[in-house]
Amino acid sequence: MQARHGHSSYRDRTDEFFGVVETLRRSIAPAAANNVPYGGGRREDPRSTAVMQSEFNKRASVIGLAIHQTSQKLSKLAQLAKRSSVFDDPTREIGELTAVIKQEISGLNTALLDLQAVRNSHNDERNISRDTTTHSATVVDDLKNRLMDTTKEFKDVLTLRTENMKIHENRRQRFTNNPSKESTNPFVRQRPLASKPAPSQPAPLPWANSSSSSSSQLVPRRQGEAESSPLLQQSQQQQQQQMVPLQDTYMESRAEALHNVESTIHELSNIFTQLATMVSQQGEIAIRIDQNMEDTLANVEGAQSQLARYLNSISSNRWLMIKIFFVLIAFLMVFLFFVA
Amino acid sequence: MKITALLVLKAAPETTDPVILANASDVSHFGYFQRSSVKEFVVFVGRTVASRTPPSQRQSVQHEEYKVHAYNRNGLCAVGFMDDHYPVRSAFSLLNQVLDEYNKSFGETWRSAKEDSSQTWPYLAEALTKFQDPAEADKLLKIQRELDETKIILHKTIDSVLARGEKLDSLVEKSSDLSMASQMFYKQAKKTNSCCTIL
Repeated sequence: MQARHGHSSYRDRTDEFFGVVETLRRSIAPAAANNVPYGGGRREDPRSTAVMQSEFNKRASVIGLAIHQTSQKLSKLAQLAKRSSVFDDPTREIGELTAVIKQEISGLNTALLDLQAVRNSHNDERNISRDTTTHSATVVDDLKNRLMDTTKEFKDVLTLRTENMKIHENRRQRFTNNPSKESTNPFVRQRPLASKPAPSQPAPLPWANSSSSSSSQLVPRRQGEAESSPLLQQSQQQQQQQMVPLQDTYMESRAEALHNVESTIHELSNIFTQLATMVSQQGEIAIRIDQNMEDTLANVEGAQSQLARYLNSISSNRWLMIKIFFVLIAFLMVFLFFVA
Repeated sequence: MKITALLVLKAAPETTDPVILANASDVSHFGYFQRSSVKEFVVFVGRTVASRTPPSQRQSVQHEEYKVHAYNRNGLCAVGFMDDHYPVRSAFSLLNQVLDEYNKSFGETWRSAKEDSSQTWPYLAEALTKFQDPAEADKLLKIQRELDETKIILHKTIDSVLARGEKLDSLVEKSSDLSMASQMFYKQAKKTNSCCTIL
């Protein structure tokens, strides 16, 4: 039941609201006395309870309606952010819409907190049923969830917008390469700035807009803001707008250089590891070569000893051979004697 | 990539002209007769740019063929005249260094200066010559350059290590062949020795 109510509460509540209004009209005299905010004394009057509850419902319905409107505006903003091209940049409308949505969201936040306080004070002081408590708790939670979703969407749209702006600025920088010319422009009067709530805001030039609307971590933007806040004069503000992009460029170029250095060091580390691997592999090869050579040495030494022994045996055998020769000659003599 | 001049000025509030605290210029590449006029021009443009730079801001202005970089920090402004090739970042880091050095050596005395000081500050002159090469001023540039050189050297090293690998491979082949041959030799020798007593 609550989910259905929460999903389309801005519609259903209207009927309820009418019913409550009639109840109020009927009980307008005592109700007026009872409408002392949220806590009076202990009133057992069931009608005052109903009045408080209807008060709660009224506020809840108002908040729900406001959330719905905010989300509609947000969808419009998202469309604008998506469709912005390089030349047809609805910067100012986007900025104004952003400001309006931000105010609405913060207003809704405070209203929701009030509503919660109301409910808590109800629960503390009144003798109401468990169902009512759970009902009001669920309503408040539902509204809070919807507000959170809206805020998240808002943040997404802003990030999308920043990315688009960055792409545009890159394209612009590529095609018109004169960032330094901007510095002479501060002396020329420009379109006066509309009222600017503090952080992300419309500005005459997309350069400044890119630096100011990027909702983030760029140090120079914070520097630029901190320095621009004490300045009150319009022309100085405009000059600040020009200075901030130069600071940005300076800081960005430094950041880029640092990134380059870091990536170079990474590459170097890769090269070193490869070098180490190769050298270790080659070390293993060298050890193999060494072993082969030792084997060869052992073989050659063995062969040399064998040959030496052979030589010895051959040289010593000669004496034996002389003896054998003599014996052979003796046989020959005997043969010759028998034949001749 | 040249620096033509470096100036340190006291950037007074917008109405009055800035006061020159130190000046160093390198006009050697102009003809002898143009040098004084170039110095005047440097002084004048430096004053103008310094007066138009809001405090704690950096600014670069293109003037004829020079880029003038100005950095105003708490009323002390450093202005540099460089040509177009000098990287902007090194220019600003150089101005930073100059300002730091000035603060160190002169402290706060410059705040009371009312007219152009005529003494030269030797640090500025040697800074001018030292930083003609932007890598000196900007440590990042120097590091990047050294890293690139190291990378080239490492590439060459890897190539030579690969060649060494090839040679080692051929060596291992040859040594294994050698050990085979020596083994055959040993067997042969043993064989001739075993069957002895021929004849």
